[in-house]
Amino acid sequence: MAIKDSGFKKKSGSDGSIPTSSMADIAFLLLIFFMVTTVFRKDRNRQIEWTTAEATEKIDEKRQNILHLWVQRDGSVWINDVLTPFEDISETVRPIYAENRELVVAIRGDSEVPYQQINTITEELQASGAVRVTFATRLEQRAMRARR
Amino acid sequence: MAIMKRKQKVSDEIPTSSMADIAFLLLVFFLTTTVFNEERGLPIVLPEQSEEQDVSGRNLIFFIVQPDGRVIVRRGESEQEQVVAHTQVANILRTELAGNENLIAAIQTHPNAPYRHMVNVLDEVKLAGAERISLQEMEN
Repeated sequence: MAIKDSGFKKKSGSDGSIPTSSMADIAFLLLIFFMVTTVFRKDRNRQIEWTTAEATEKIDEKRQNILHLWVQRDGSVWINDVLTPFEDISETVRPIYAENRELVVAIRGDSEVPYQQINTITEELQASGAVRVTFATRLEQRAMRARR
Repeated sequence: MAIMKRKQKVSDEIPTSSMADIAFLLLVFFLTTTVFNEERGLPIVLPEQSEEQDVSGRNLIFFIVQPDGRVIVRRGESEQEQVVAHTQVANILRTELAGNENLIAAIQTHPNAPYRHMVNVLDEVKLAGAERISLQEMEN
């Protein structure tokens, strides 16, 4: 009994409180970690009506490998917040693709854009070499589909 | 001199005990203001330029998308055409794929058809599990 008691006493001898002096260091370390790993978006969102698809997949790609290509209803194409004429798309994308061979171009087209324009864009992308493309869509639910 | 002395009594050290609170406050602020936006869509790999392949007509099925959203289905060499709604495309393609694994789904879209009709058909083709997809613009 005596032995047990002494053993218990020894354990409680260690300081039970969390060391607060190093807390600041830990917090700052976390803060700096998150600040460094944050990747900022290069462009802002544009007003488009999204297309929906049931087969929508999550694109498992690093954010810096994705290039957004916005096509608005009026047919204007925006790459990195720059209004790009159709014939200049391949010239704009080529250096970006040369820098990053993993590039995926996400075409964010308005649902009412005539297909002719989308076709021109894919042809321009082919000319620039960036052949990995996704047609950005919103996930469609079964219930929505039945109504369509 | 007396005034100087009184000032000296104020501690000139930064209070370290509250530093952790400040740091955590900043940390929580940045964590909550971060917005994650997932990339979602229908991935497809375009053929390389100048990479044109000759495909036997037997391995082709055409889905011709009209400006009004209707889809004309044409199987390879046969001239027979079938007009369907885009919701039927998946089932048609599924049965065709069961018969021929090498089938290429060619989506031909009318230049004036809205983009969403083409996405609807591409969606159906993806749902049917087609691996080989070709996107074309309909020639007039």
